[in-house]
Amino acid sequence: MSRTRALLLVACVLVPQLLVLAGSGHAQGIPQNIPRRELLILENPEGTIKNAGWFNIWAINAGSQSNGLQQVALDTLWYIDPESGLDGVWDNSLAADKPQYNADFTEMTAKLRQGIFWSDGVEFTADDVVATVTTQIKNPAMRFSAVLASNVASVTAPDPTTVVFKLKKPNSRFHANFTVRWGAVWILPKHVFEKVEDPAKFDFNKPVSLSAYVLSSYDPDGKWYIWQLRDDWQRSSLGRFGKPGPKYLAYVDPGPPDKRVIAQLNHELDVVHDIAPEGMFALAKQSKATRAWFKGFPYGHPDPTLPAVIFNTQNELFKNPDVRWALALLIDIKAVSMAAYRGAATISAIGVPPTGTHPATYHQPMEAWLREFELDTGKRKIKPYDPTVGKQIADMLRPSMGEQIPSDPADIARAFGMGWWKADPQGAQELLEKAGFAKRGGAWTTPDGKPFTVRVMVEGDLRPVMTRAGTMIVQQWKQAGIDARIDVAQGTLPTRRAAGDFDSFIGWSVETFGGHQDLSYFLDSWHSQFVAAPGKVQPLRNWQRWSSPALDGIIEQIRTVGFDDPRSIELGKDYVKLAVKEMPTIPLMAYNVFTAMDQTYWTGFPTSDNPYANPVPNWGNSRYMFVKLKPAG
Amino acid sequence: MGKRRYLAYAIRRLAQFALVVFIGVNLAYVITHATPIDPVEQSISAVTYYGNTAPAAIEQMRSSLRELYGLSGSPVEQYLVFWKRILRADFGPSLSAFPTPVSTLVTRALPWTVGLLTVSTIVAWGLGTLLGGLAGYDRTNRGLKLMGVVAMGLHPIPYYILALLLLIVFGFLWPVLPISGGSAMNLPQTLSVDFVLSVLLHAILPALSLILIGVGSWFLGMRALVSNVVTEDYVVYAELAGVQPWRILSSYVMRNALVPQVTGLAISLGGIFNGAVITEKVFGYPGLGSLLVDAVYAGDYGLVLGVTTVSILGVSVAVLAIDLLYPLLDPRVKVR
Repeated sequence: MSRTRALLLVACVLVPQLLVLAGSGHAQGIPQNIPRRELLILENPEGTIKNAGWFNIWAINAGSQSNGLQQVALDTLWYIDPESGLDGVWDNSLAADKPQYNADFTEMTAKLRQGIFWSDGVEFTADDVVATVTTQIKNPAMRFSAVLASNVASVTAPDPTTVVFKLKKPNSRFHANFTVRWGAVWILPKHVFEKVEDPAKFDFNKPVSLSAYVLSSYDPDGKWYIWQLRDDWQRSSLGRFGKPGPKYLAYVDPGPPDKRVIAQLNHELDVVHDIAPEGMFALAKQSKATRAWFKGFPYGHPDPTLPAVIFNTQNELFKNPDVRWALALLIDIKAVSMAAYRGAATISAIGVPPTGTHPATYHQPMEAWLREFELDTGKRKIKPYDPTVGKQIADMLRPSMGEQIPSDPADIARAFGMGWWKADPQGAQELLEKAGFAKRGGAWTTPDGKPFTVRVMVEGDLRPVMTRAGTMIVQQWKQAGIDARIDVAQGTLPTRRAAGDFDSFIGWSVETFGGHQDLSYFLDSWHSQFVAAPGKVQPLRNWQRWSSPALDGIIEQIRTVGFDDPRSIELGKDYVKLAVKEMPTIPLMAYNVFTAMDQTYWTGFPTSDNPYANPVPNWGNSRYMFVKLKPAG
Repeated sequence: MGKRRYLAYAIRRLAQFALVVFIGVNLAYVITHATPIDPVEQSISAVTYYGNTAPAAIEQMRSSLRELYGLSGSPVEQYLVFWKRILRADFGPSLSAFPTPVSTLVTRALPWTVGLLTVSTIVAWGLGTLLGGLAGYDRTNRGLKLMGVVAMGLHPIPYYILALLLLIVFGFLWPVLPISGGSAMNLPQTLSVDFVLSVLLHAILPALSLILIGVGSWFLGMRALVSNVVTEDYVVYAELAGVQPWRILSSYVMRNALVPQVTGLAISLGGIFNGAVITEKVFGYPGLGSLLVDAVYAGDYGLVLGVTTVSILGVSVAVLAIDLLYPLLDPRVKVR
């Protein structure tokens, strides 16, 4: 036998063996040594974690939060679900009851549950809550240090199930810090941290768990984390809702969107956190097992955030509401929806996301007011609201999407939103002229004769949907004669946004609880007391740096009203009316997250038909999903 | 060549090496510190979603973080601290993965990158050089001609296109190979048979994408070199003298044509320490390239400097080694 033939024979024997080995499931992204029927695989959108062995969530920026740590290992006093919740949107988690305030909201008392234990067998008590607060106040470089130091005068534990916070100033929403929306101030184990010399440099590895799962194993290179159901899961706050279905949870970095699609088609990624609309469409078309929030178009889960054109209102050009309104009237939201989401967007004309309970609380009741709302262009009064825009988007999509597009008006409103502002170039022209701008040779100039230039800052490929929206808006403004430009911030975004180094930005400064009427979560940070001087760093969510005495008045009233008080809805509506008149940000749509759930191995995921929890797997609230999941087949 | 002359040359070359490294590291320091990304603001931004905070409290957090991250003090003081640390091979803590030392992160990523790139570089070089040599020597062989056409076709394909094609073919259409990571999940990183096999399996696609592009490049280079060498008088003379073709190829042609290829290989091996940024990103491979990209986005000066310094040292040492070895190995090279 020649040497070549011998080599060929060896190759024929070895190559199939290698392929068998590769195709056996050994190769792909399934954790080894765990039965698939006991394992749920979810995407950790934080990607690959550099500091994989770090679990001290109370230190800043040191590790992963969404690797299961905040979802299934940590816990805090209360949760609010952006959807309807397992037992209502509010859940007393480590707390036994809702927060109790004194009459002037300078003191908050939290009563705690009994019978909750850390995974190392130590009982959870009020001392843990006190240690959580005092440890962070003592260490200004810890995550919640600034917010706690700003608010808390003292914290005490008169008995093991009672915590009393004395506040530095009246604050009827102090409990929001200990209430999970996406995350919150998580409770740290006093018995662990009291032995640590420097809490900011302590890795908390292996983490002691307060919730239903404990860390089983993790990748030192930060690609995956596996959590295992505690034997004593009944001694966690989640235990009240029954035994969680999956014994193991794997939070993994599946890579960029195309790989997420491939992984789910191969049934190796049960929950995709988010993909581009095109990826979602591909999954819906190619996988019978994939289910998204909506069964059909527009698929995505509307986050309780509100992407908008956010102006830097400290910029001279954007101080005048007439200019901001003119720019709003130059936007065709249908085109923006198509560009950003291929139409799979839920639009909103008002500064509240059309999510959770908000449409019933704000959007529908304000419809009549919006229809009657008038703008004075300087030459005439116009009614800019068009209540049919949501329907127009649905009609536009129907020829290509067929029966997936609902026909019932209520379903259309739920999926695509209600009305928006009519594109009105004439109205925009009159408003700009009223503000002193002039159009020369088809191009707009500012009152001092310079070209009217607007940079629209976007995040680039870090958030492609918003980048596409921004690009369409720039195109529309350019067509109207404005020197509009895209300004890609990419990695510099946090620095530039905080410093006010932008004209306008496509993103969100509105974040709500979604499932609860209260708007203070973002609104309180819009008070002028928090607005930084031009050139200084702006803290928190008021990126637009908008300060208004009228808004301050509304916020100050909210601070004196209880969280569940119906008066807070009326004050919320006052804010909406003021924001419509002033247009500090041009609301666009909810941030739709295309979370795709594969039902090959697990069923019972939350959906719009059964909206018991937020399905987006990096949210703390997503832990409620696990008690409803059942093995398929 | 006299020993004294070579020693003087070596000392001169070592001084150049030190200067190049010094300038390179300084440039990296200046560039990273000129970036508009402020790691402290990035960190503060990460906590701004939690409740309302008075600007004074944020300011206190800012100054605490500056202190903690070692970013307090004047620029000159920071620069001196940096060089003190460098001389102790200590790049300080990573700012985006605080307080883990940069050296720990680099050390963790380095074996993955070195393993993948060393093997794929050598395999690509070996295959490309061998086949390119044969193709340059025997212009009539149809198989080698076809290979030339394939190499010409593969060479200009953007790397990421080929990587995506491999992903789709072997990850989706015929899903037999892993498309992400360095090893299977939940497998302890020990020298067990399972782990080693898993590492090899996970390296196939990234290595294949590097090798396919690399082979084409080395193939074309070697073919051109050999094409020149075969027309040299001593090769023609050997043929006329009836020397066996395989001996002409191995002893007369390949050895002479190999010198520039070896130089290229040495530089490529030095460049391994740059990491294969696109490969590692596309295949989610846990190496230096991914680490560097993440560090740049996070404004993590220390980590960027750690990776770039390793890279600068890698390339500089490779070039230094070539320069010091050549006068000893190649009689045509003279030092002055």
